[in-house]
Amino acid sequence: MVPDMITCIETALKPALFDAEGENLIKKARDYFDIKLTDVRSVSLITIEADLADRELALIRDEILTNPVTQISSISPLDIDFNWCIWVGFRPGVRDNPGSTAMEAVRDLLGREFLPGESIYTSKRYCIKGHDLTRPEIEKVANELLANHIIQQWRVFSKGDWDPKTGTGHVVPKVMLDHEPEFKILKIGSDLELQAISDERNLALNPRDIPVIRSYFSDEKVIESRQAAGLSEPTDIEMEYISQARSDHCNHNTFRGIFHYRDASTGETVVEKSLFKTFIQEPTLALKDERPWVVSVLWDNAGVGRFDDDFNYVITGETHNSPSNMEAYGGAITGIVGVYRDPMGTGLGSRLIMGSYGFCVGDIDYNGPLKAPLHPRRLLDGVIEGVKDGGNKSGVPTTFGQTLFNSGYMGKSLVFVTALGIMPAAVTGRPSHEKKTSPGELIVMSGGRVGKDGIHGVTASSEVLSENTPAGHVQIGDPYTQKKMHDFLLIARDEGLYEFITDNGGGGLSSSVGESAMISNGCEIWLDKVPLKYEGLDMWEIWISESQERMTVSVKPENIDRFMALSREHEVESTVIGKYTDTGKLHIKYGEKTCAYVDMDLLDKGFPRWEFDAVWIPPELRGLTEPVSGEPANYEKLLCDMLARPNICSKEWIQRQYDHEVQGTSVIKPLVGVNRNIPSDASVIRPVLDSEKGLVFSQSLLPWYSLIDAGCMMTCTIDEAVRRLIAVGGSLDHIGGVDNFCWPNIQYHPEKNPDGKFKAAQLVRACRGLKDACLAYGIPLLSGKDSMYVDGYLTGEYGESIKVSALETVQFSTVGIISDVKSCVTMDPKMPGDSVYVIGVTANELGASEYYELMGRIGLNVPEVRFGRFKIIYKALEKAISQGIVASAHAVSRGGLAVHISLVAMAGGFGIDFDLSNVPRDNSKGILRNDTVLFSESPGRFIVTVPPEHCRLFEKIFKGLACSTAGSVTDSHSNLNITGLEGNTIVGISLEKLEMEWKKPLGDMV
Amino acid sequence: MKKVRALVLTGFGLNCDVETAHALKLAGAEPERVHINTLISGKVQLDQFEILSLGGGFSWGDDHGAGVIQALKLKNHMGQKILDFVADGKLVIGICNGFQTLVNLGLLPGIHGDYQTRSVALTWNDCGNFRDQWVNLAVDHESTCVFTRNMDSLELPVRHGEGKFLTDTHILARLRENHQAVLRYADTDGKPAGKAFPLNPNGSLDDIAGICDTTGRIFGLMPHPEAYNHFTNHPDWTRQVFKFKGDETKPAAPLSLRRNRLDVTPGIQIFKNGVDYILSNR
Repeated sequence: MVPDMITCIETALKPALFDAEGENLIKKARDYFDIKLTDVRSVSLITIEADLADRELALIRDEILTNPVTQISSISPLDIDFNWCIWVGFRPGVRDNPGSTAMEAVRDLLGREFLPGESIYTSKRYCIKGHDLTRPEIEKVANELLANHIIQQWRVFSKGDWDPKTGTGHVVPKVMLDHEPEFKILKIGSDLELQAISDERNLALNPRDIPVIRSYFSDEKVIESRQAAGLSEPTDIEMEYISQARSDHCNHNTFRGIFHYRDASTGETVVEKSLFKTFIQEPTLALKDERPWVVSVLWDNAGVGRFDDDFNYVITGETHNSPSNMEAYGGAITGIVGVYRDPMGTGLGSRLIMGSYGFCVGDIDYNGPLKAPLHPRRLLDGVIEGVKDGGNKSGVPTTFGQTLFNSGYMGKSLVFVTALGIMPAAVTGRPSHEKKTSPGELIVMSGGRVGKDGIHGVTASSEVLSENTPAGHVQIGDPYTQKKMHDFLLIARDEGLYEFITDNGGGGLSSSVGESAMISNGCEIWLDKVPLKYEGLDMWEIWISESQERMTVSVKPENIDRFMALSREHEVESTVIGKYTDTGKLHIKYGEKTCAYVDMDLLDKGFPRWEFDAVWIPPELRGLTEPVSGEPANYEKLLCDMLARPNICSKEWIQRQYDHEVQGTSVIKPLVGVNRNIPSDASVIRPVLDSEKGLVFSQSLLPWYSLIDAGCMMTCTIDEAVRRLIAVGGSLDHIGGVDNFCWPNIQYHPEKNPDGKFKAAQLVRACRGLKDACLAYGIPLLSGKDSMYVDGYLTGEYGESIKVSALETVQFSTVGIISDVKSCVTMDPKMPGDSVYVIGVTANELGASEYYELMGRIGLNVPEVRFGRFKIIYKALEKAISQGIVASAHAVSRGGLAVHISLVAMAGGFGIDFDLSNVPRDNSKGILRNDTVLFSESPGRFIVTVPPEHCRLFEKIFKGLACSTAGSVTDSHSNLNITGLEGNTIVGISLEKLEMEWKKPLGDMV
Repeated sequence: MKKVRALVLTGFGLNCDVETAHALKLAGAEPERVHINTLISGKVQLDQFEILSLGGGFSWGDDHGAGVIQALKLKNHMGQKILDFVADGKLVIGICNGFQTLVNLGLLPGIHGDYQTRSVALTWNDCGNFRDQWVNLAVDHESTCVFTRNMDSLELPVRHGEGKFLTDTHILARLRENHQAVLRYADTDGKPAGKAFPLNPNGSLDDIAGICDTTGRIFGLMPHPEAYNHFTNHPDWTRQVFKFKGDETKPAAPLSLRRNRLDVTPGIQIFKNGVDYILSNR
């Protein structure tokens, strides 16, 4: 079965043409490592392992691989001069997307199928020139810029090493598993035995689950029914199924756990029986009754809200942290492509309409002793690129996103991805948000094939990252295959060809089939039918593999022929892999052999809930105080330094890499203002092209406040996400929320996690804040996820291992409907002569602010959300915007008024005179100096500009509320001039200078 | 009168088909989204249509040069039918990935009936990255291009990683001489960008953003006219509108803006010109 012939075709740009990829490498080598490469030419290698005639190879080279205008190519190594050459290729089994599309093209061009064992692999080599470059330098470039050893292999050739005839040699990263598929019987005679199996197989079984599992398999009735099926003791595939289903990722054991909460200062204790039920489910169900636009929540892959009479929107958010930490590109692209399957698998399936990202990484310029798997800068490069390829190639606009930096994310960085879809309210006459599986229906797997990818991904993300975490769970998403599947399934949906659809994500078939079979109450699976990427997978691997781009679909036998024909037409692979039954059994067969036979309700067999001790130590008891410092004298420098802070400065280069206008729906873009470079409060799309209705979307991340109190972090985060929505024209009448928790480990352990109880208390407080905010603002939680182990072990200066935990972080997403997009407002002042209003009260709330962080302090006065007061203000602004009298509106957030009036000024391109003494203020939390007013992060505030002819009406709407004219827009100068509380000018900086400072750190990136 | 039928290709990673069909509808055509394989199988016949639109996206992931595999597939399975379509006096528009496909098919530059030679290319942006931004475009007035008739400048978004137009000096001279370089990246006054980034977002030779064949009936462009299908697509619309509806004593909004709000956007105008051409030549 192994073909005799291996051919490598090399292509490169013609020597006279600019090589952007090579240039990028030169820039990174210089910027990151001070290694000076003078010239880099990149060469693509296509290695074909197939018995092809010379004529056929020439055809492939000329027709597919070589652009006659720009490229040169050769079937032997190209003669390109170098001092050093680096070759980079995939490791065996890693998804090679270009290799796969090349095979598609060759198949079509030659009209010939690939035989078993034949394949095409892609790799690259870089011909590098430079003076006195050393091998260690080149190896550094290879290892730290070009290749990640987890998924790639690389070789370095000096000029002397290079044989111009053989070149890189024909490296074929073929998976060869000389292995007969099998399943094992596991001996679980004692708890210890099962624990040992769990450790050995990386099942991550909770010790308290072990007796329950054992008692199930020793139940006489169970033994009897298993004997009839030819089984006795559990098989490995059964144990893997239980492990997947019981993992924290699938079962949310933490949020369903019992928390024994104690306040260390008052001694007061409370038992929280289930964070999910109390703080997420209850308020959401209560709000669902009040809000008829809530269509479907809390059970499906994503939540569903009403867009208009004919359409519903779908929203969900995910994280993909652990894989991205090891292979940033692969992890991030798998994350975004993966979250896009959730709306596709919600109800009867929706069409994707937008996505967003949130990146939290360590200090981008970190040069200390700690060694993370990937340096934050490299990690960020990788995740940016992963989301770019995943989002852009999916044809889904990425309309919003945030990037933030904090040293805690060195331990584990966070990659948030959010997806929205839209579906007709009814499909073939039935509500699109309902679906079920029924006995007799066929189980079809559509999309990609199954390999060893991602095995134990779910359990790995439920564990703290350590040296033993299997690297095999890193994958590379394939947006191309998924896009074909997306297009196909939407047509199948509209033809009414299937009854149920869900995606294959964490846990693979084990989760998607296991969960969907609960509805029909049973299934029979024919594992030998599952199409594989390569032979040799064991049954349990097929069952739990997380190979991407797959959906599980339930098709009635009478529809299967049409379904399969449509699938073929779209060149999407679909396979019947079993049938739903009502036997009450999960029955897995391989050929004639039964390899799993357990009760569908096995998971309800009294597994104990997880329990946590939570001890809250108030910030005062932790020794936090307000810093003692005098008032700054140089506010201009201070403001410039604030604008250049990594968490404030321009990150335009990231947003521009993301297609935010595909689908032609863009109304408010991620970047706005006269120079189209200031981040917008929210994005708005018009997802139904012949409607004037809009979908408004925003997100917030304010993890810093967790340094003082995660409860305040939560409420401030939600408040900001709400305010951003209001600022562009959203309404409190319709705001759906998505909560994405990322928390460090909360399970107390005296040595490994000594502050676990405190982190558990922070979680309880955050959940309380979540409920309070949702009820106050009327936000049903349409979707939400948790990632509970955002810790990592880094190697320190002396080779010691150091645990680094991320800040307790929640990304909160808000979504709303705008009845007419023409009423939307952006943050940029529109006309000179307009008045600048500050809405909302500024108090002494600098705790954990950007300003204190600049000063190296934390402080104590964390911002406090006053729901009742804020809501009235938001309603008033909503009214003013709907009447068309507001020229611009902007939510004040991180960095306070000083930073945000600067952003507003830059966005408008007009001068602004701003007077702090006219800002609404509240002295109850401590005195307000100029720096307090400028940098306090009190929530609930906006900066709004209003044309003179509308000021009276505007002021009438805000009568009695915290709102006052604090400045004006002018074209008599182009400065931001700020007058201090004493009436003296404390800032007078040109917009040009402000923008220069704001762009200084990252502004020249493209 | 019978509506102009327009075929919008879908499948294999193309992704602008929905809004392109919408834009054609707004332009007065009757669009149909057709999967490439449906066209190849003959279930839908190309000759039933008058406009063929190859839209944006990442066909076959753009893994071996943008538009290359799509071009190959069309050439192998539809080559003659497409040539017949062109010979029948019908229109072809290729946007972004569709433009890349047209140049790889050789349908462009299509100098004096040569529809099979690949003599121009769209390659990786000089900035080394995918980029989404709006550009100013200057229209060559003397071009025969039917899609840009009576237009002198417009703004549209570009969204691509491979849009740098390249060719040799000989072909470039002919493109100029034939007024085939329909669209050039320009500054706000409509002067060619002179390769200055980001006005010229990709480093295109001679600031070329779009070309047509010598008949003016085959048009390829990197910017996305279908993404300017509503006046709120424009990045400055909130500024424009506020001026427009604001104080009546202030200078009136530019005429183009009134037109945008009340009539068709420049993006739709491109499709409308195509539709009008077909109608007036029936």
